[in-house]
Amino acid sequence: MGVPIFSVRDLRFTYRKSRVAAVKGIDFDVVEGEIFGLLGPSGAGKSTTQKILTRLFKTYEGTIEYFGKDLKAYGNAFYEDIGVGFELPVHFSKLTGLENMRFFSELYKKRADIETLLDAVGLLEDKDRPVADYSKGMKMRLNFVRALLNEPRVLFLDEVTNGLDPGNARIIKDLIKDFRARGGTAFLTTHLMNDVEELCDRVAFIREGEIVETASPRELKIKHGRRELRVETFENGETKMHVFPLEGLGENKDFLALLKTASIETMHSGETSLDEIFIKVTGVAGDVR
Amino acid sequence: MSDNLLKLLKGELKRLMKYNILQISFAVALLWIAVIFLIGREQATTFVPLFIFMDAALMTVLYVGANLFYEKQENTLKTLLITPSGYVAVLASKIIAAVYLALQSSVIISLAAFFLFDVQLDFLALYSAVVLIAFAHAALGFSFAIVSRDFNGLIAAVGLYMIFLAFPSIFFAFGLIPERFEAVMLLSPTHASMMLIDASFGKTVALWTVLVSTAYLAALAAGLLLFFIGPKYRENAVRE
Ligand SMILES: Nc1ncnc2c1ncn2[C@@H]1O[C@H](COP(=O)(O)OP(=O)(O)OP(=O)(O)O)[C@@H](O)[C@H]1O
Ligand SMILES: [Mg+2]
Repeated sequence: MGVPIFSVRDLRFTYRKSRVAAVKGIDFDVVEGEIFGLLGPSGAGKSTTQKILTRLFKTYEGTIEYFGKDLKAYGNAFYEDIGVGFELPVHFSKLTGLENMRFFSELYKKRADIETLLDAVGLLEDKDRPVADYSKGMKMRLNFVRALLNEPRVLFLDEVTNGLDPGNARIIKDLIKDFRARGGTAFLTTHLMNDVEELCDRVAFIREGEIVETASPRELKIKHGRRELRVETFENGETKMHVFPLEGLGENKDFLALLKTASIETMHSGETSLDEIFIKVTGVAGDVR
Repeated sequence: MSDNLLKLLKGELKRLMKYNILQISFAVALLWIAVIFLIGREQATTFVPLFIFMDAALMTVLYVGANLFYEKQENTLKTLLITPSGYVAVLASKIIAAVYLALQSSVIISLAAFFLFDVQLDFLALYSAVVLIAFAHAALGFSFAIVSRDFNGLIAAVGLYMIFLAFPSIFFAFGLIPERFEAVMLLSPTHASMMLIDASFGKTVALWTVLVSTAYLAALAAGLLLFFIGPKYRENAVRE
């Protein structure tokens, strides 16, 4: 593995006025150049973890190192380095998209070209409309532009494709891949398995504040996946499902017998989807799109 | 930091215009002048200080509190926290914008008072007082917004503040509360504010009253900022 950008050890956090911890002693590294996904069901602690890493919450226990130095030792210059995409829209609704971006952009030393970014997410034509008139998906795309204003080294994205139609989700995902191709590192939280499968180099599953597994999507599939054949037959007036392992299928007596005798309706080979792995690992149903 | 303070301040002032707050504040100042015309110019010495006080104190509390709630709702407070500016500069820019707003009103009303109604006043003393009063009331506005759960809570807090602190000092100004209670009255930030404004209009206010009022308002603002708003601001801005 490459250079760890963030090293998180035994991180714990409890909201004030809350009796249970939202994050209960988690460990992980985010490595330079990778897209790291924090994946888990609603309420698992994903946004909380992101807010701790972006220093919005400072009262955590455990240690976080950013480039080998305690995160708490950094001043506000830390924010020159990172870009944050929030879960919800973060704009002055009476200002236009462009006015919003200009205002935030001026606060950084490094400044990406705003119109190029707006164009990339398909908002250039709407740049002079007040954000109040934007649709939810447009606001989320503007959030993404907001996160890229300072040409960050590390990008934090909380549910970045939430509320986007498939076309726009595609655009954003491609932009995230471009970001990685230019050497950027991304920390992504999501409960959408499609995003993970397509984008993440590594994922950590978080469940009730604890990380239950860290691996690459491929490793997960190999570990939890089963290669199998599902056959649906029609017998005695009802549809029945039969499942056979792909290994040794040609010698599988039950399968061969079924082929000869049954009336087959459908036949599919399949590997376990990440959705099934999500449910298996976290014990909760994820969202499918 | 100071570089970003200027940019944040520019943003605040621009939004004051975009959200029509500057224009409304201007219109309210003109309205006060019209009211004085209606009441009769001989009453101007009584009412001009009162109207300036209302703008600098009560309007500032309301404006700052509402602004904080609104920006919290828009999540812009949160996104400003992840910029290199730091929250101290954000707070400072909001306070300066609020003071500017109060100063603009007091300049309009005081010029009208001087030129249209022949009211005698010490401009420098008045504007210094307005800056201090608006500063202290901006701190109060932040504090009320932080302790209130929602916008209605803020309105309730400002309402209670007016009933318990502002109205007594207005009654005092009209002689409805006996003079011997003055020392107690000074504990109210509004009363201290009234005294400073009155002094700038040449009314007889003891020097010790002016000094105590000034020190009290400055200490109140500094205390709230250092010990309440500063520690709570971040948590308040991040809370959903
Ligand atoms: N401000 C808060 N005060 C108290 N508890 C909170 C607060 N915000 C979140 N929590 C709790 O902390 C836990 C983790 O919440 P978090 O927002 O991190 O979840 P998440 O994984 O991002 O969920 P989602 O997928 O729904 O966004 C939840 O149990 C939640 O109820
Ligand atoms: Mg979340």
